[in-house]
Amino acid sequence: MKPMNPLKKFLKTYLPFTKAGIQGATTYRVNFIAWFIGDIMICFVMYYVWRAVFLSSGSDTFNGFTMTDMVVFLFVSNLTGYLTGSDGSYEVGEEIRDGNIAMRLIKPVDFDMTFLFNELGGKSLTFTLIFIPMLLGVELYKYFAFGQVMFDIGTFALYMLSAAMSYLFSFYMNVCFGFMAFFLKNLWGFNILKDSVLRFVSGSLIPLAFMPGTLRTVLEWLPFASLSYTPVMIYMGKYAGAEVLLRLGLQLVWVVSFYLFSKLIFSIAMRHVTVQGG
Amino acid sequence: MNIGKEIRRAFRLFRIFAAQHLKKLMEYKIDFITGATSFLIDQVVNLAFLAIIFGGVQSLRGWSYHEILFIYGFSLLPKGLDHLFCDNLWNVGYWIVRKGEFDKYLTRPINPLLTVTVEIFQVDSFGELVVGIALIITSVRHLSLPFVWYDIPLALIAVIFGMLIYTSIKIALAAVAFWVKQSGHLINMVYGINDFSKYPVEIYSRPVRNGITYIIPFAFTAFYPASYLLRHTHPVFSILGTVIAACVLLTVSLIIWHKGLDAYESAGS
Repeated sequence: MKPMNPLKKFLKTYLPFTKAGIQGATTYRVNFIAWFIGDIMICFVMYYVWRAVFLSSGSDTFNGFTMTDMVVFLFVSNLTGYLTGSDGSYEVGEEIRDGNIAMRLIKPVDFDMTFLFNELGGKSLTFTLIFIPMLLGVELYKYFAFGQVMFDIGTFALYMLSAAMSYLFSFYMNVCFGFMAFFLKNLWGFNILKDSVLRFVSGSLIPLAFMPGTLRTVLEWLPFASLSYTPVMIYMGKYAGAEVLLRLGLQLVWVVSFYLFSKLIFSIAMRHVTVQGG
Repeated sequence: MNIGKEIRRAFRLFRIFAAQHLKKLMEYKIDFITGATSFLIDQVVNLAFLAIIFGGVQSLRGWSYHEILFIYGFSLLPKGLDHLFCDNLWNVGYWIVRKGEFDKYLTRPINPLLTVTVEIFQVDSFGELVVGIALIITSVRHLSLPFVWYDIPLALIAVIFGMLIYTSIKIALAAVAFWVKQSGHLINMVYGINDFSKYPVEIYSRPVRNGITYIIPFAFTAFYPASYLLRHTHPVFSILGTVIAACVLLTVSLIIWHKGLDAYESAGS
């Protein structure tokens, strides 16, 4: 038998997980739609709050953002969240708790890759059915606001690159959090805590540019800006030239660090794992 | 009297269930701390958002920073109380019906809605209640309210009936699970609309304003009663409106709940 090309072997091993992910996402489509509508409503609350801020301030810009910028920011942050969000922490945690993790560990596959490829299945559906139509909506809004087509394929490519790194970072960070299930039972409460803190430090609730000086600098260098703010600023053209390279480089550093960190935690945790029941 | 006896019985049951639940919590102290802290931090993040906005503007459509804080703090009271007493309704929507576990409530000699509701005493909500009270106290110290003595009973009435608005919406939507097995995500979607109630309705366009006043009346859980307390405007509409909205919703949701119970078929074997 001829030895298989390693990439081919890799894909042959993990693509079935992606297929399962797509099937899983299709099964839960009603939940997803309800969740999606809820998210859009929150976007609209924020839209009205910002509109009131601009109407009350009597100025066209707020910390360098116009109202049009703000609308683009709100919706693109939300969209980027669909690409970069990861359920890893919840799923790893649940499997640790119910013992199903044993079934993953005895198979000749990589622990994190199975989760990653599974999640990419759902992401591919979200990308085609939600992301692309909504992005077209944002571009259409920009067209009417500026009177000309503002779409730049180069900027968009950089945004996608940045968003891809955001996702990998988000995935490995969530895997690290998932191991908290060894210590905590109230994962649900913990996830609320994590999500609300991340909403703030990732710059998806308020642009980091609006924050007071030192806080802004610290948050821009911390890894969490990578979750949402970096790709969104690239998309909006607020980061340009050398700054784009710097921010992308920083994202790469954080992805690699968290990848290694998750491996470390994994090896420590595996020495302690005891699965209950048969 | 029969109804009086029923209510006393309900309170006694609630005390027993709450005591059981608290014992369970003492077993998992870290979980209680995580749960309550998470709701507290969630509010702190939202307050940071308000503080940053008001770093740039003096008022939001005529409402000052402290007035907005007061409305925000007030909104957390009915929401937190509903969260404290009626959290298990979420589980009815998410899994109690789907897994066939609702059967156990039907076999008991107590009203099933009452038992399922009082079974969990959700102390996670302390985070919301503490922040709500703290915000009201701090904002009142910076405001000169047109205070009269009967504002206190009126505020209590508004908080209680505001809570009933939340609870009624949850009862009606949880009951949908009796037909379709799972409605947690539906509850989540409609419940999310309460985000609109934390800000003055003046900031919204007319359709949104009418929607949160007359269709899903979350504006009565916070903005209308809070604006009455702040400025003594429209007392009848603001307070009586909250009471009427809650009574109408509760009646409708109880009808839906009972129709749902009739339609309920247990899941599984």
